[in-house]
Amino acid sequence: MARIGGNQLCQFGIVSLILGCVTLWAPVAGYSDVATPKIPAAQGEQCVEPVEIMRRDHFDFMKHDRDKTVHEGIRTIKHSLAGCIDCHATKNASGQFVPINAEGEFCQTCHTYAAVKIDCFTCHATVPAVKMSQSP
Amino acid sequence: MPVCPSPRVASDSLLQDRASAPAQSAPEHEHQAKNRRRPVLAGAVLPGRILLLLGTIFAGLFYFATAVFLVGVGARVARYARTPAPLVIPTTPAPTTHAGVVARMFREVVFFESLFKGSKWSWLFGWLFHFGMLIVLAQHFRYFTQPVWSWVVMIQWVGSYASFAMFAGLAGLWARRVLVDRIRYISAPSDHLMLALLLAIAGSGLVMKHSAHTDIVSLKAFSLGLVSFDWQPLPADAPLLVHLSLVIILMLIFPFSKLLHAPGVFFSPTRNMRDNPREHRHVAPWAKELPERSGGTDGA
Repeated sequence: MARIGGNQLCQFGIVSLILGCVTLWAPVAGYSDVATPKIPAAQGEQCVEPVEIMRRDHFDFMKHDRDKTVHEGIRTIKHSLAGCIDCHATKNASGQFVPINAEGEFCQTCHTYAAVKIDCFTCHATVPAVKMSQSP
Repeated sequence: MPVCPSPRVASDSLLQDRASAPAQSAPEHEHQAKNRRRPVLAGAVLPGRILLLLGTIFAGLFYFATAVFLVGVGARVARYARTPAPLVIPTTPAPTTHAGVVARMFREVVFFESLFKGSKWSWLFGWLFHFGMLIVLAQHFRYFTQPVWSWVVMIQWVGSYASFAMFAGLAGLWARRVLVDRIRYISAPSDHLMLALLLAIAGSGLVMKHSAHTDIVSLKAFSLGLVSFDWQPLPADAPLLVHLSLVIILMLIFPFSKLLHAPGVFFSPTRNMRDNPREHRHVAPWAKELPERSGGTDGA
């Protein structure tokens, strides 16, 4: 079988480079076309960690706190899942909290987008704990 | 890590732990959280404009690599298809029918039959690697489909295991090249480089999944933008940029490397031919042009 010669290789590289550049010059339609998750607004002022950190590591924080709490008995409030839910749960029209793992809610929106399953809520509550004194 | 001045280090008493936890664990915890922060390139969060530029550069590289890959592999396949195979040389025992050839090719591609017959260790690691990679590649469709296809959602959990299988397979194949004398002797630099490249791709992916995470929501926006020619910012995490760069390199060298065995296996005469020399007389094209001898028969 004959091998591809240097000249052919050059031509081929140039053609590919041109094709690559042409696709870059294709008209930019703006950013509206690309689907991104739309999460509901949170209650609090600021998250427990910077947003960039939370986007990458939130599950590590939760898992770390889970091990601290369950294995060592240390209860910290900084990265507690209940804290996430307190700020990020939304209420529906009748004033009831919507489960945070419902479609379109804070947790589920991105997890559906990225096809990542959430294990938390097989055990944990999906709505903020209601204080007895405030209940109607 | 600096030494934590916490009395908990000195004492293993659970009771004391519990009693003193609220006072001590909070600052320690914060400290650990800081330590676990992922460096975003130079440790700073880059402005969105830079990330968009980064995304655009990588998009351009991907388009270039895709063009090389498609044109290059297409040209190779066209050449394979045109290359004459004048002699009937299936490795026997070989099927005698078309359906039999299809079945043989299926076993070859899916189970690596002849590799199994040839070398059990190569087969084991090769098969682990190839099918790990197949599942991992299928899993990656979650970055390119929105909403994610349901079967892609269903196989996500398998992918976690498949990625380890892929890594283990590659490591085994490389160990074979290094540890087995006969194989080391016949290994060319490209054999080692291909394994190193694939291992680095798998490794950087595993690192991202299990240790230094990236922002996969932004990454998916980048991927969707990539396939719809609408460039999006790319998260500037070192493992991700390494992963993507290596994949681009892989796509670029694919049409010029031993990786062409992927399309090549289908054109392999010893595998894609029927064993039918008694049913059909095979005449080479040059032989057809010879003048027929009158009355001459074999052995006369």
